[in-house]
Amino acid sequence: MKKPPTRKSFRPSGGNLESEFLILPDGRILAHNLTQPFAELLHQLNPTDEQFAARLSRRNKVEADVTGHYAPPGKSGRADLPVSPAGRQRRPTRVSAPFLNH
Amino acid sequence: MICAKLVSPSPRSEARGEGQEEGQLIKNSTSPRPSPPTSLAERETGVQQTRRSAPRSVLARERARTAGAMLAECRFCAHDCGVNRLAGETGLCHAGAKARFFSAQVEVSDELELIPTFAVALSGCDLRCDFCITGASSWNPRAGAGFDAGAMAAQARMALQGGARTVMVLGGEPTIHLPAALEFVSLLPETAKLIWKTNAHASVPARELLNGMFDVWLADFKFGNDACARRLAKIPDYNRVVQENLLWADEHSELIVRHLLMPGHVECCWQPVAQWLAANLPGVKVNLRAGFWPAWHAARHAELRRLVSTRENDCAVGLAREFNLNLIP
Repeated sequence: MKKPPTRKSFRPSGGNLESEFLILPDGRILAHNLTQPFAELLHQLNPTDEQFAARLSRRNKVEADVTGHYAPPGKSGRADLPVSPAGRQRRPTRVSAPFLNH
Repeated sequence: MICAKLVSPSPRSEARGEGQEEGQLIKNSTSPRPSPPTSLAERETGVQQTRRSAPRSVLARERARTAGAMLAECRFCAHDCGVNRLAGETGLCHAGAKARFFSAQVEVSDELELIPTFAVALSGCDLRCDFCITGASSWNPRAGAGFDAGAMAAQARMALQGGARTVMVLGGEPTIHLPAALEFVSLLPETAKLIWKTNAHASVPARELLNGMFDVWLADFKFGNDACARRLAKIPDYNRVVQENLLWADEHSELIVRHLLMPGHVECCWQPVAQWLAANLPGVKVNLRAGFWPAWHAARHAELRRLVSTRENDCAVGLAREFNLNLIP
């Protein structure tokens, strides 16, 4: 008899988008699986970040209702996108800028 | 200074021959490499030519059936297991006959020219990278939910209509789920720009099934030597296989090569990767990913317990410039 998926291996979709972030002590943020809503949020935290401006340009936007249709049922992420500092600690984007804006 | 040590004074002249490990697949760069299409729009024309015999959807449907039958003796990836997945046998990837997915959403974190992309991540992988950011789902082909190609294609079409520029099939590793991936392709609009995000560890039969199906191969070149590949991903003969796949992909589609920069692996991995790309795929688009973080089982390896340093980042970029790589954001 087939063993049913464990809770650990399967979390049912809840209609939500999922992105992952790692906030570093110096204020930098690393992001994986960046969705548009989260990119917009981060962009609001740091409007001067050119990386987000590029990723949120008019050409790169999709309608919100389309984005919202899909939900990742499990922990996800594979596109490693370094993000510049958000919030009060606005140090130079030492890690990200040379790569994404090259 | 580490950069001074890393950057070879004449990388192009050393890119072939003496400096190469035995067994590496090297193109004869004395032959001019045909200029690859530089954009999806240009690529579209080429792909239409590739699809000459029939519409992509028709070919994909036929190949999905062929791929499904091949599960009886699975040789989709270079592990070449030959197990009968239809009978419940599993190879190194542990995948069964039915595909599952753990993520499907519109994302904006991939290459600028590809986003927004409707990204569908299939569960399971044929590699075992200890640093995999999606290790829980990538190592477990039973993770997530059952993959319904029709339902997923409907969502992809909606995403495209809503402004998504591309549809991306990834994993884990999608190669181990070729029947499902091809069925998905068969249900997508002919004009959709399709991205095959892969670890470039496919077999020859898998590549034949994929020929003409995807507009862009977005392929990882993770390790610059086989020792690191064995230690970090438990994979033998890595460089030969990946290089063979990259050369094939460059000839049969648009190719974007990704390298995830890892701490402590600039000299042993990024430098030889950059050198090989410069010598064998000059001008190919390269995305140097800078956002490594210690995930999954990365802590099993001392050097992977930290982030990439600023110095390492600077060195990596310096190498890319030295080798005249075509870095894209």
